[in-house]
Amino acid sequence: MVKNYITTLFISAALMLSVAACGPSLVITDVNYTQPVESVVSPDADNVINDRRYAISFSITSILEEENIASTDEVRLIRNRSGYYFVTAAGFNHIYVFKPASGELELENKIELTTDGLGQPALNQRGDHIEVVDRATGQTYRVTEEGRS
Amino acid sequence: MDKMMKRTFSTLFALILIAASVSNVEAQQSDYDTIQDFRAEYQQLLESVERAASTDELNEIAASIDALESDYRGYADLINAAIYPDTYSSRIATLRSWHADAVEHYRSIEELNERVDELRSEVESFQADLAEMDARAVELRREIEESQANERRLSGLVREYRENLEARDEFVTDFLEDLLKRYEVLDAATADELAEAAERLEDNPVDLVKTILGEYINFTNEATGLNAYDYLRMSTQHAYFNDVWQRIGERLTQVFDADPVQSHQEVTDLLANWNAAIDNRIWGALDSAFAQNDISLDNFTDAGTFFNSLTSYIRAQTETAIDRNSEEDLEQYRNFSRFWNQTVKGEWGEYLMNGNILTYEQMSQIDSQLEEWNEAAVPVSNLMLILFLISVAVIIGLVVALVRKK
Repeated sequence: MVKNYITTLFISAALMLSVAACGPSLVITDVNYTQPVESVVSPDADNVINDRRYAISFSITSILEEENIASTDEVRLIRNRSGYYFVTAAGFNHIYVFKPASGELELENKIELTTDGLGQPALNQRGDHIEVVDRATGQTYRVTEEGRS
Repeated sequence: MDKMMKRTFSTLFALILIAASVSNVEAQQSDYDTIQDFRAEYQQLLESVERAASTDELNEIAASIDALESDYRGYADLINAAIYPDTYSSRIATLRSWHADAVEHYRSIEELNERVDELRSEVESFQADLAEMDARAVELRREIEESQANERRLSGLVREYRENLEARDEFVTDFLEDLLKRYEVLDAATADELAEAAERLEDNPVDLVKTILGEYINFTNEATGLNAYDYLRMSTQHAYFNDVWQRIGERLTQVFDADPVQSHQEVTDLLANWNAAIDNRIWGALDSAFAQNDISLDNFTDAGTFFNSLTSYIRAQTETAIDRNSEEDLEQYRNFSRFWNQTVKGEWGEYLMNGNILTYEQMSQIDSQLEEWNEAAVPVSNLMLILFLISVAVIIGLVVALVRKK
């Protein structure tokens, strides 16, 4: 009796889970988020950058703290094909890779490029990777969301 | 001139900057900088086109546009992505379009400058020729006054003086024809451009027209030894001048004068003064010409009274011929008819009509009156009466002979 009762209960639970799993679901694949040219934006007094062309705005305060830098004149950012944001600036030792989420950017990777600080960094879209150029030294780096390649 | 040199230097400086930055394109490692450089060079070229002050500068800019197009062709996709919805091709096309407009603009300015230079040269040449003719006319007039005693020499001088005036008239007529051709059909845009360019003319065509009219007035007032034919020719020249002025005067003054209304009035007044000067001489000269041919007309002081004098003279002579019907009347008719047909119509006819002294209709009316005078002047023959009387006498004779025979 108890056995039948438990069996009925399991079947009902399985049915309920099956019905829930049949709700609306749509996934688009092979989305290309490539930003062809980097954005160069100046932070405001609150260290907020606003890229009007690609419509993104966020504070760089936490990044500056990571780099132990009080302020910077320009921040350079670019988005790769997968949709990750790559952010760096003059004087940074790293390039920061962020994954966009609902109302936030989650740090995916913090890639060290130098220990002396980048002189005049620039970010170039190169298809399967992002090219970081330090125009002050001529040094170039290849990076992806996973690290230096 | 300084402004032009400054423009030239600034354009050259811009082009050098562009050339220098274009040469760095290959060495550029930042896509962002490549885009920024393209934008800056594009903007500099646009400004250079706007500032360009000559077609030579525009030729240099055309070479820079070619260089820009060639240097950034390899970055077209990058540029297209960065400047969307604009494109690399559309930016180059815009530059070429602006450049073509500027070339066209400067070409028309340079053409206009050439026209002004040409006009200036023509005005100067015309003034020189006119001054030479005027000087010769004054000299001839002085010689005529000094040679009153020597009739043969006087006759030669008067002939030369007359020829000089005729040549001057032809010269002025050519000038007026040229003005008509140029300015009678002149679109507003060209007129505006010409007005701007004409500010550089020391003596413009309107000034020249005023000078010519002033000289005509002087000549008419001071003329010596001229006859009716000469004054009729002057009157024709005045009528032509007046016609040309009516057709292009307003346009000419608007193009060449800062105060077109006043300038137009000045020329109109000069034309009226010239007409008055001709009026002072022409009626007396015509009266003398008729009198010299034994035709005594009533006094006349204008075209209307001149025509009335002619018609009333013919009417009076016709009535006299009807009443008197003598050989003297026929001779009077023949004299008038000869002078009217040979001199008035033959030699003066064109000038009388063109100078607005007699119309074609008025001359036809006088011709009709002359026919009536002719009919009245021919003496009536008595031959028919004599033949009639002889016939009657013969008939009576025959009747009498028949009666006697019976």
